[in-house]
Amino acid sequence: MKKLALAGLLAVGLTGCSSEEPQVLNLYNWSEYMPQEVLDRFTEETGIQVVYTTYDSNEAMYARLKLLDDSAAYDLAVPSTYYVSKMRQEDLLMPIDRAKIEGFDQLDPDLVNLDIDPDNAYSVPYLWGTTGLAVDSADVDGEVTAWADLWDDRFDGRVMLTNDMREVFHVGLRVLGYSGNSTDPEEIRQAYEKLQELMPSVRTFNSDAPRMPYLEGETDIGMIWNGEAVMGKEVLPTLEYVYPKEGIIAWLDSFVIPKNAKNPDAAHKFISFVLKPEISALISEEIGYATPNLASRDLLDDAVASDRASYPTPEDMANAEFQTDIGDEALQVYAKYWEMLKSGQ
Amino acid sequence: MRNLMQQPFRTAVLVLVWGWLLFLVLAPNLLVVGASVMTRSPGTFISLPLTLDAYRQLFDPLYLEVFLHSLYMAAVTTTVCLLIGYPFAWSLSKVGKQRQVLLIFLLIVPFWTNSLVRTYALKLILATNGLLNSALMSLGWIDEPVQMLYTEGAVVIGLVYLLLPFMILPLYSVFEDLREDLLRASHDLGAGRFSTFIHVIVPMTLPGVLAGIMLVLLPAMGLFFVPDILGGSRNLLVGNVIKNQFLDARNWPFGAAASIMLTLAMAFLMFAHRLSKRRIGEDGV
Repeated sequence: MKKLALAGLLAVGLTGCSSEEPQVLNLYNWSEYMPQEVLDRFTEETGIQVVYTTYDSNEAMYARLKLLDDSAAYDLAVPSTYYVSKMRQEDLLMPIDRAKIEGFDQLDPDLVNLDIDPDNAYSVPYLWGTTGLAVDSADVDGEVTAWADLWDDRFDGRVMLTNDMREVFHVGLRVLGYSGNSTDPEEIRQAYEKLQELMPSVRTFNSDAPRMPYLEGETDIGMIWNGEAVMGKEVLPTLEYVYPKEGIIAWLDSFVIPKNAKNPDAAHKFISFVLKPEISALISEEIGYATPNLASRDLLDDAVASDRASYPTPEDMANAEFQTDIGDEALQVYAKYWEMLKSGQ
Repeated sequence: MRNLMQQPFRTAVLVLVWGWLLFLVLAPNLLVVGASVMTRSPGTFISLPLTLDAYRQLFDPLYLEVFLHSLYMAAVTTTVCLLIGYPFAWSLSKVGKQRQVLLIFLLIVPFWTNSLVRTYALKLILATNGLLNSALMSLGWIDEPVQMLYTEGAVVIGLVYLLLPFMILPLYSVFEDLREDLLRASHDLGAGRFSTFIHVIVPMTLPGVLAGIMLVLLPAMGLFFVPDILGGSRNLLVGNVIKNQFLDARNWPFGAAASIMLTLAMAFLMFAHRLSKRRIGEDGV
C-alpha cells in the first residue's frame, strides 16, 4: 500500500512538472555534425532546451522516423540529398512556413529549388559536402588524380572505402564511365566485378569517422568525406583531399520537420538561428563542411574559405554528381552485390 | 498472518515475471516471426500477403556461405574460449574462498563498461601505431609494426575477449560441484591422473562445457559490431547480414527470417544440452 501511494505521489510530481516545463526542441542529426556552442547559444537566446540525438546513416534515420512517426519523437532532422525527396513523397514531412524563416534569401541560389524539393517547400539546406579521395602524401609517391588510381597494385592492403553501399558503388560505376545513380542491373553487375578486383587491396570500410584509419596508420589512400579530411589534416598534415577526375560524389544535407513534430515553432526558430551569418560561419569553421549561406562566406576565417577541401573551385566540381533515389528494385540489386562483395564472393 | 503478508508479494512477483516474459520476450519474438512471413514492401517495410519467400531466400548460396563463415569464426572463438576457460575455471575452483570471490569479481568488472566501448579500446591496442605494436617495437622484438587490426585474428580476439566470462562461469559452477570423493575413488581404484581426467572429470564437467558453448557460440555469430570495428567490416557475420537487411536493403522479412534461424540453432543446442544431461544422469552417480 505504501508503495502504491509513493507511485501515486511520483506520478503527481511528474505531471506537476510538465505543466511548467521549459520548451524543448528534439533535434535528430548526424553524429559530429553540430558544434555544442551553437546549441548553447540557441538555448541562451531563446530559452528553448535542445535534446540532441544522433544517427550515422540516412537509413537508420529514415527507419526511425518512419516507425516513430506517430509518437512525434523529433522536431527537426537532417536527411541527405535524395532522402528529402523520398521522405517528402512518403508524406513524412511538414511544410516549412517560409514566413517564420529569416535569412532564407541568403542561401546559394545553386543549392535551393533543386529537384529533390522544388521551391524548398519542405527543406532548408544546412551544409553541403563531397565524398572524394584521401591521400596520405607521406606514404604515397606520385600524383593521384582519379578514382581509378585506387586499383593500382602499389596500394595493396592500404585502401579504405566508406561503409556506404551507394557511395562505394558510385565509385565503381564512375570508373566504368556510368552514372553513380545507375539503375541498370547490368551496369551494377559490371561495377560489382570492377569493385571485386579492388577488394584484395581494401583494408577496411569505415563510415563512423572515415579519417580515423588514415590517422591510425592503417590506410594510405581511399575515400573520405571532405569535412573529415579537413579535421584529419589538423592531426596528420600530410593527409590531402583530392577531387578525382571521374567526378566527385556531392551531397546536400537539409533541415526537415517531421510531420508530427510537437514543437514546429521551435524548429523554425532553430533553422532561422542557424541561418544567421555568424552562426553558419561558426559551424563551417568548426566541422569543415561548406555552408550554403552566402552571407556568411565573408565572415569565414581566410584559411577555411580558401581551403579547397571545404570550398571547391568550379573545376573541382566538373563531373560531380548528386545521389538520387534509385527506387526499391535497384536497391535490392545493389544490396545483393554489396553483400557478395563483403563476403568475398 | 504471515501467509496473508506473503500472498500479495507472491502475486506481485509472479505478475512481474510473467509480465516481463510476455511483453519483453514473447511479444517481440512473435513480432519477428510475424515479420518473417510477410511480404516486403517499400512504403511500409512489411505487408500482406503471407509468404515463405524470406525463408527460401535463406538457401541462397551467398547466405549459406555467410552462415558457414560465421559458424567457422564462432567455432574458432568457442574453441579458444574453451581452451582458456577450462583450465581457468578449474584452477579458480581450487583457490581459497576469499580469492575466488575476488577473481570472480574481477571477471565481472568489465561488464560494467559497455561492450562497444571496450571493443573500441581493443582497437586502440591493436592498431598499427597502437599500444601493442609500440610496446613490441620499443622492446626491440619487431622492427616494423605487425598488421593486427582489420584481420580475422582481430575479430577472434575481440569475440574471445567479450565472451570468455560466459564460458568460465558455467564451467566454474560444475567444477565447484565436482565431488572430491569420486576423484579419490578413481585414484584408489588405480586410475592415473590422465585416465581420471578422461573418464571422471570430463564427463562430470560436460554439462558445464555444453552450457559454455551455448553461451558463446550463438552470440559470437550475432555480435555484428565486432567484425565492423575490428575486422574493418570485411568479415560478414550473420548479425551483419541481419543488420544490413533491416537498414540498408529494407528487407525486413528476410532480416527477421535470418534472426529466427539463429534462434532455431540456439534451440537445437539447448536440446543437445538437455540430452547430454540426461545421459550423464543415467550413467553417472
